Amino acid sequence: MDDIYDLRSIFLGEDSIVSSLITSSLEGTPLEESSGDLAFLAGTFAVVNIVFLMLFFSQFAILWIERKAVARMNDRRGATTALRSLWVGENGVTAGEWWKMLPFGGGIVGAINKFLNKKFGNRDENFATVDRVNNRSWMGYSILPGFFQNVADGMKFLLKEHMVPRRADKLIFEVSPFLIVSSTLLILGIIPLSSGIYATNPDLSILYAIAIFGIAPIGVFFAGWSSNNKYTLIGGIRSAAQLTAYEIPLLLTLLSVAILSGTFNIIESIHFQHAAGSWNLFLMPLGAVLFLVTMIAEVERVPFDMPEAEAELVEGWWTEYGGMRFGMLFMAEYIRTYAACFLFTHFFLGGWHLPFQGTISQIPVLGDAYVLIPGAVVVLLKTWLVFLVVFVWARFSLARIRTDQILEFGWRMLLPLSVVQVVLSVLYRLYLFEPDNMSYTAEGGNAWDAFGIPMLVPLATTLFWVGVFYVLLNDEDKDAAPDRMYHVYTLQPAGTHTPGKD
Amino acid sequence: MPMHPHAKPNFRNLFWYPFKITLITALRTFPFFGKRFGKRLDWGYHNSEHPEFLDDGSKSRASKTSEFNDITVQTFAPDRVTSDLFPTLWKPQTVQYPYERLEEMEPWLFVPGNYNGRIGVIWETCTACKLCVSACPNDCLHMTTELRVDVLDGADGEHGGMGGELEVGGHAATLLPEVVATLDDFNHVTAHTDTPNEWRFGEVLDLTGSTATVRWNDSGEEVEMDQSDLRVADDQIVSGRIDLGRCMFCGLCMEACGFTSFFMTNEYDGMSGFTRQELWMDASRTRVLPGIHQEAVDTELAKRATKERTKRAKKAAKAAEAKAAEESA
Repeated sequence: MDDIYDLRSIFLGEDSIVSSLITSSLEGTPLEESSGDLAFLAGTFAVVNIVFLMLFFSQFAILWIERKAVARMNDRRGATTALRSLWVGENGVTAGEWWKMLPFGGGIVGAINKFLNKKFGNRDENFATVDRVNNRSWMGYSILPGFFQNVADGMKFLLKEHMVPRRADKLIFEVSPFLIVSSTLLILGIIPLSSGIYATNPDLSILYAIAIFGIAPIGVFFAGWSSNNKYTLIGGIRSAAQLTAYEIPLLLTLLSVAILSGTFNIIESIHFQHAAGSWNLFLMPLGAVLFLVTMIAEVERVPFDMPEAEAELVEGWWTEYGGMRFGMLFMAEYIRTYAACFLFTHFFLGGWHLPFQGTISQIPVLGDAYVLIPGAVVVLLKTWLVFLVVFVWARFSLARIRTDQILEFGWRMLLPLSVVQVVLSVLYRLYLFEPDNMSYTAEGGNAWDAFGIPMLVPLATTLFWVGVFYVLLNDEDKDAAPDRMYHVYTLQPAGTHTPGKD
Repeated sequence: MPMHPHAKPNFRNLFWYPFKITLITALRTFPFFGKRFGKRLDWGYHNSEHPEFLDDGSKSRASKTSEFNDITVQTFAPDRVTSDLFPTLWKPQTVQYPYERLEEMEPWLFVPGNYNGRIGVIWETCTACKLCVSACPNDCLHMTTELRVDVLDGADGEHGGMGGELEVGGHAATLLPEVVATLDDFNHVTAHTDTPNEWRFGEVLDLTGSTATVRWNDSGEEVEMDQSDLRVADDQIVSGRIDLGRCMFCGLCMEACGFTSFFMTNEYDGMSGFTRQELWMDASRTRVLPGIHQEAVDTELAKRATKERTKRAKKAAKAAEAKAAEESA
């Protein structure tokens, strides 16, 4: 079902405002004939920019979520930079009378800041309980504290010097960040925020996503090689080495998504999930897990972040980059992660469709209100949730694994499992899927019924995999080797026995 | 010793429990919700769920210090703290070492086996070659002799009686069953004292038939007892004292040892004291004899017994040969 908020029809429709404005203003001029083309150009320009800005600024939430999560894990509140930080520094140390740099000595601004500092400055130390580093502003706790920290970080990066190591391969060194960043930004071009909010929609957008995702590792390798530094070189080599382990399972998983949805187009695969009646997550939980694992490896996050293993390699392949190049690489890293979350949302969580949208939208009043929720909001919420629940949570739970472990894991576990998933998808599509029951209406279809039981296929599949998960959690040979692993433990305390006499 | 279920590298321990602990730790820091996850101890963080996995030392510590572990009556060093600003916000603070140990509450964080901790010596297989003493850069190893039971001894020994035999004027020892019974509960790591000696030593005064007259060293009392109850002891058996106050745990002694008699355990506890003298670890305090090393001890002893046996057989053969040559001559 299409989202009711259709940005593209506003700017690119037959009788859109842009089109009518351009047509009427060019009437009688020599450009009249090409007014249609110009309207298309202007509309596309507007749409692409709006979509890009939406994606770009909503990415702040990703960084913010991760900052806040890491702070929670450390019993802190993370960066709490807020407006109040302008007049109160850390533990009563103010930022100085910065307003004196303003024209006329700050004047009213200084007066306001002085008043605020007096009125809402740090309270006296008897009242403060535990102050921690970076608790710059407890006022900032209330509304999205630290949300704009990234702006401050970006300004800092922009002001820093750009340096190239003396013996580095200068051309490659300079080109690599642009290769990485530009290829990363190209991913955003095909990510739809809803059925009517996207920049472009090529027919083979899934293939495009895979292809464009695969470019950045080359840049990573270039960067690692050209920096003339052992750490970066090892990081780049590791990146290239682990590439082989996760790319093939990732491609096979996406192939199984394409097989199940019968399309290589992202938007059509979302439509398919609604029209067939079930999100892909419930039809291929294995595929979803494989996708997430390989995507974590693809975006080089914990536990697959050997290319930038801080403990061993300083900062990995980007050790030698500083200033805004570092900032851009950092941003590219998060954009790739964000794109991975978007792709998961679209491939497995039904894109802009709300949970039980087909059923709830049939309820008279509530259903009408339910579908009023903008699709872009749904997509963003799902994406942020995926980021928090999968990427951030995994990052703080799991330890980094070794190169040989990811290679073994990739070739021995992920690859066979993704082949199994491809076979399963083929079987589902051929034998369990009933194309006659597809419905593109608001109600959605019921193509996954079996034996007359509604939704039997997704229900049975999900139950099966939940069962597998349960077994994995509990399957344990309790009688096996009672010794603690690697643990020297005194099973027979000294003196309780005589060697050779037991 | 029942094994804690968290100590195996399976899916649950490598994947699910880290995720669960992360979630709880994060949720604990939130107002209102945090209290649900922070204050309740039955989430198992303090191991109230699996008391069967506590060893004896932990149990005794837990019983002696229940007031510290019970958050409702805690008197100092709280492990959860709150603030006036957010009364509902509780955050984890401290592991109550030594009353709690991190690897008991979060056993997947076990101390790695190659951690250089407390020194352990299998004195039974030590040959007094002093390689460790010369390897020690801090000069903390001191080799001495000690009155101990000769493990190679005994006519009834499994190793074919390849050790010494009781002789008048020599030393003998008998096992004290009441001490052996207490050794099971003795935690040498937390006791900060020597392991109680399970042997009673004495001097052999007389040997008649199957009985022996022994004067006990501790009481001076003379008794006559069956020889089978006595083991041969020797006051020249190698022993040593390690000054842990000087030790830097480099492990060079362990590497120098050619008989795998010297090793660093992964035990970090039980190496503190109120005086420097308490850090002089005598042989009885380094006698950590872990089960996995028991086999090595037995193998080593069997090897030596075999060696001794072949030596004796060769000697006997040589003697017989010499005798035969003498006869033929």
